Amino acid sequence: MSYGGEPVLEGASIVVGEGQFVSLVGPSGSGKSSLLRAVIGLQQPLEGTVEREVAPSEVAILFQDDALLPWKTARDNVALGLTLKGVRRGRALEQADVWLERLGLGSFGHRFPRHLSGGQSKRVALAQVLAREPKLLLMDEPFASLDAIVRTRVIQDVASLVEREHISVLLVTHDLEEAISLSDHIYLLSRGPRAHVTRDYPMPLPRPRDPVRARTHPAFAALYEKIWNDLSHEVDRV
Amino acid sequence: MNPRFAWARQLAAFAVFLSVWQAVGHAGWLNPIYAPTPGQIGAALIELFGSGRIWTHLEATFGAALAGLALGVVAGILLGVLGSLVPFVAELLEPVMTLLNAVPRVVLAPLFVIWFGIGVASKIALSFILVAVLIFFTVFTGIRQVDRKLVERVLTLNGGRWALVRHVYLPSVAAWVLGNLKVAVGFAFTGAVVGEFVAASRGLGYLLSFAQSTFNSALMLALVLLIMVVVLAIFAIAGRLEKHLLRWK
Repeated sequence: MSYGGEPVLEGASIVVGEGQFVSLVGPSGSGKSSLLRAVIGLQQPLEGTVEREVAPSEVAILFQDDALLPWKTARDNVALGLTLKGVRRGRALEQADVWLERLGLGSFGHRFPRHLSGGQSKRVALAQVLAREPKLLLMDEPFASLDAIVRTRVIQDVASLVEREHISVLLVTHDLEEAISLSDHIYLLSRGPRAHVTRDYPMPLPRPRDPVRARTHPAFAALYEKIWNDLSHEVDRV
Repeated sequence: MNPRFAWARQLAAFAVFLSVWQAVGHAGWLNPIYAPTPGQIGAALIELFGSGRIWTHLEATFGAALAGLALGVVAGILLGVLGSLVPFVAELLEPVMTLLNAVPRVVLAPLFVIWFGIGVASKIALSFILVAVLIFFTVFTGIRQVDRKLVERVLTLNGGRWALVRHVYLPSVAAWVLGNLKVAVGFAFTGAVVGEFVAASRGLGYLLSFAQSTFNSALMLALVLLIMVVVLAIFAIAGRLEKHLLRWK
């Protein structure tokens, strides 16, 4: 992976198993976002390959910015995700309603994105990708822009939905608590340029899991401390 | 003072102004050649409509302005899109358009009379050039500023080229053009009236030039008033259209 010359990321061997929730943490500039962009095909790796056992249409991505089309209502935005996949418009709209309802936005379908709060807009973006029934969901700091309470509640919803729908997840985040409470496996990237995977940690917290409860699990503090030390070490390394 | 009744105070002040103007004119303190009274201006207006001779002129100006507006919007969009798609076209068009944008384009009016005659064609041409350059820049710069995040969103939902055009580029272009619609309407009428003023046998601009040559200030002010009302009415229609179509903004 390179960004104007020097490779940002090299030698990242990351495996996301079926139905697994995997997080990538690491200092800024370690190429975490570039990696996700390569997986979804927005960017080509200089060397190496991205191996997916799922079709391109079964991979979905959520960014920090929801990027809903401002001229389409919430409902039409969700339906667009389906029509671009080849679903008939009538059926797509029905499905859009189902998913908006499921995310607690049943009465907001007619609103334009400008008239949605940050949390609502995030839920519409979620409905847009989840309605496509992806097998692999990529998330690039998706919750960073939300305020604390909304953020926790959206995270709870995401966790229970991906668990229920058996979706594999690759999450990029700066937030270690978020990573530990959600993941089955965490990869730590070194500082770029030429970043690589330095460590990886299996997460022993049991499933099914509520990400809020997980924080009070007896193993949580020790995991946090360990990964935090390794991460700080990476950030401080010159 | 209650800001809710600002309109009432404005109206009252205007009424006072008109009354004083009328009174001063009545007392013979104003030269009617320079400053006719409101009453005389009103009479000129009533005469224009009462005799029915205004209709042919209104029709000429509206026809030229709307034709120039429609052609200018279409050409501006086509050239703007073409310029953004084909770099070679952009290289050729950009300097010409920048030049046309830099000069007051109404200076072309006499030239257009020579090229297209004193009929409606020279007025349409002037309206057209005023509108087309405006819309070209709106579209041309707009397409370059399409939100990259929206493009990536549609791409990651497996949208192809056609989906990008339909769901991202077309609505963006439509929004910019609609956002400039009022300015374009103003330009279209400016083109038509100025064109008529230079050389014509019909139209509000022609009447203006007639009023000027006969030193008829009452008629001239009546026409200025009429043009203001006409353009404001069209602004209101364009504004409602914009508000409805851009309700997502």
